[in-house]
Formats: sequence, C-alpha cells, structure tokens
Amino acid sequence: MNRLLAFILLLVTSNVVLAQEVAMNASEIEAFKQQVNMLSKNTNTITSDFVQYKHLDFLENDIETKGKLAFKTPGLVRWEYTDPYEYSVVFKEDKLLINDGGTKSNVDIGNSEMFKKLNNLIVNSVKGTLFNGDDFLITYTKTKDFNKATFVPKDKKMAQYIASFELLFNTKDGTVKEVKMIEPSADFTRIVFSNRVLNGPVSDAVFTN
Amino acid sequence: MRYLLISVLWMVCTSCALQTTKGLRQAPVKQAEVVNPYFSETSIDYVYKAKIDVYGRYFGGILIVKKLSGTSHRVVFTTEFGSKIFDFLYEGDTFTKNFILEDLDKKIVVNTLNKDFRLLITEKVPVVEQYASEKHNVYRTEAEGRYNFYFFRKGEETLEKLVHTSKHKEKVTIKFESLQAAAKTSEENSIAEKISIAHNNIKLQIDLAYLIKD
Repeated sequence: MNRLLAFILLLVTSNVVLAQEVAMNASEIEAFKQQVNMLSKNTNTITSDFVQYKHLDFLENDIETKGKLAFKTPGLVRWEYTDPYEYSVVFKEDKLLINDGGTKSNVDIGNSEMFKKLNNLIVNSVKGTLFNGDDFLITYTKTKDFNKATFVPKDKKMAQYIASFELLFNTKDGTVKEVKMIEPSADFTRIVFSNRVLNGPVSDAVFTN
Repeated sequence: MRYLLISVLWMVCTSCALQTTKGLRQAPVKQAEVVNPYFSETSIDYVYKAKIDVYGRYFGGILIVKKLSGTSHRVVFTTEFGSKIFDFLYEGDTFTKNFILEDLDKKIVVNTLNKDFRLLITEKVPVVEQYASEKHNVYRTEAEGRYNFYFFRKGEETLEKLVHTSKHKEKVTIKFESLQAAAKTSEENSIAEKISIAHNNIKLQIDLAYLIKD
C-alpha cells in the first residue's frame, strides 16, 4: 500500500514538474525571439545588480557573491563584484581590464578564439541576443513566469568546460532575469539579476579600470 | 694557511646549514604528533579569495577547501565568475586530479600545486625533532626525504608558519594569520584568516584571504 502511495505521489509530483516547464512550439519560439530581438535593438544601456551563486556538490552552502553590471552599445561591459570582495572586469575591444582589489592587470583576448567566444557569450547574454549563433544547439521552454533558452555548445573544447548554458527571460518584458552555467560535473554558477535599468545614462568613464 | 682552510670549511658548512633552525635551540620531543588545526572541520566550507603571482604574471580566483571525512579533502580553484580552474581530491596518500584547465595541465604545475595543498591540509604528522625560540615551539617532521618545520606561537599555540625544506634549503614558506575572534569555537580555531605561500626556488606566490559570510 505504501509502495502504491509512493508511486502515485511520484506520478503526481513528476506531473507537477512537467507542468512547470514545457517546450515552446515553433510559433512561440518565433514570437519569443522577436520579443528579445526587439528589446535588444531598443536597448543602448543596461545597469543591474546581481547575486551570483556558485554551487559545488560537496559544499554546505553555495558561495554567494554580489555585484553590479553595466552595459553600453556596441559591446562595452563592466562586471563588478562588490561583496564580499572587490573585483571588476571591463570588456573593451580585444581586452579584459581587470582590477582585483587594487591589483590591476590586462588580458589580451585578441589572439584567443576561446576568449572571444566567452566574450561574445557574455555580451550576448547580457543583451539577450544569442539566438543566431552557430556555436550552440538551442532549445526553448517556458513556464507562466519565464521563457528559457538552453544552449549546448557544439565546440568540443568548449564542451569540456560548459555542459550547457541557460538564460531565463521575464515573460512580460523579455529582459534576462537569470543566467545559469552548468559544468560537465553538474556543478553550476547561477546569476540572478535585480534592479535592472534600461537606457539610463551610463558614462563612458564606467568602462575604465 | 691552516687558518684559511678552517675559515673556508666554516663558510662551506654554514652556507649549507639550514636557515630555518637558525636561532632555535633543540628541545626534548614532548609530543608524538604535530597537529595542523587549519581545514580540519568537516562542517565548514573554507572559501578564500586567492591572488597568484607566477613569474610576474598575475591572476586571481576563488580557492575552496572542504574536509570530506577523516583524511580526505577536496581542493577546488575557480575564477571569480565561477568556472573551474582545477579540482583536486586528496584521500589519505592518494591524489586524484578531477579536473584542470588544459593549458595548466603540465606535470610541473600539477605537482607543485599538489604538494602545496597537501602541506596545507595534512593534519597529523609524527614529530622527529623539537626546537624552541623565545616566541615559538617548533616541530620538525619528515616526509620523502624532505623536512617540514611547524612554528607554533608559545602560549596561544597557534600555527603561524610552516616551512618546507630539503636538508639544506628552504623550499616553501607558508604563513598563517589565524581568525581574530573574542572567544573562539573549535570551528573558528580551524580557520586561517590569511595564508601566504611563497616558493623560494620558483617565482610563485599565492595569497589567500578568507571570505567571511555576513
């Protein structure tokens, strides 16, 4: 009897899980892409706060770091951790400008295909425009609150580092609410955005380090 | 002539004498084992902001150390963004490289990192010799023809320094600053707030700062 109950419970709960997230059909995918592309076209600047959760299966708690993000067209990004340590990276042309609690360094990414792809990934995921890339196999799912695009890298080298990459978009306005990067080991990094401001004034001086 | 010979011999001998024991006097061995208090609690996630300087090239990241059971530890290094740089597993004497970035996957790099972190996490080692200075009780241990000197501050008995040497030369010096707290629990006792690992034969310096939760 207990076993039967457990079985029914399992069925019910798995149905609930399935009901939460369903695949989009072709026209939904088209509408969703259009919504995101439209928003991206009309976005010149973004500022946002974020909380990053690093999940490792052997830890008691996820490692939580907080910070701020600024974006300006065509491809300027400042990614800054403020708590519990200060660390910022500016993506500018072919360079990463790093300021690690006062220690500054630059990384030339011009020669590195891998870095270029990562850079593209970051810029595009901030803007929400990853949909035309040939580098990933993309699937689309939805719930009543968000649309989700899951990216699986085709490149074998990249697949060593990233099993998949998920972007969650608010259904209402198409803005990115969450990014999740899942490693082949199933450990993941999850970034949740808040206080997003679109097209507010962002000075070029923000993108120096 | 004899005087010259003696002074040359004296110079040779002092130059091959180990710096570490300079100014220390030998003392009777009073305890069978030296116990490294750090990274010793399974309930704690030891998470550090790391700064690494290797031959003038600088990079940062997050170092995570977790004691899984009696003699096993995971040591994982990630970028600030969370992607893994390396992932090591220590089980007793066994070392397993779960993951390391392809560019870093070189024997010398892996061996150096492996040995450094083994020094940090090894908890109990038999004492071979004991020394004392005004400030420290010092315990010498031996492993694979190398020595380790553990410097404990007298009174508080906190581990402040660990020097890894060959018979004649210092190879690696690790300095610890223990967590400052009013009345420390055994968990807090196992936390080093700052750790610096300096290599003498290669230009490698690792600085770690404990990330305190709100």
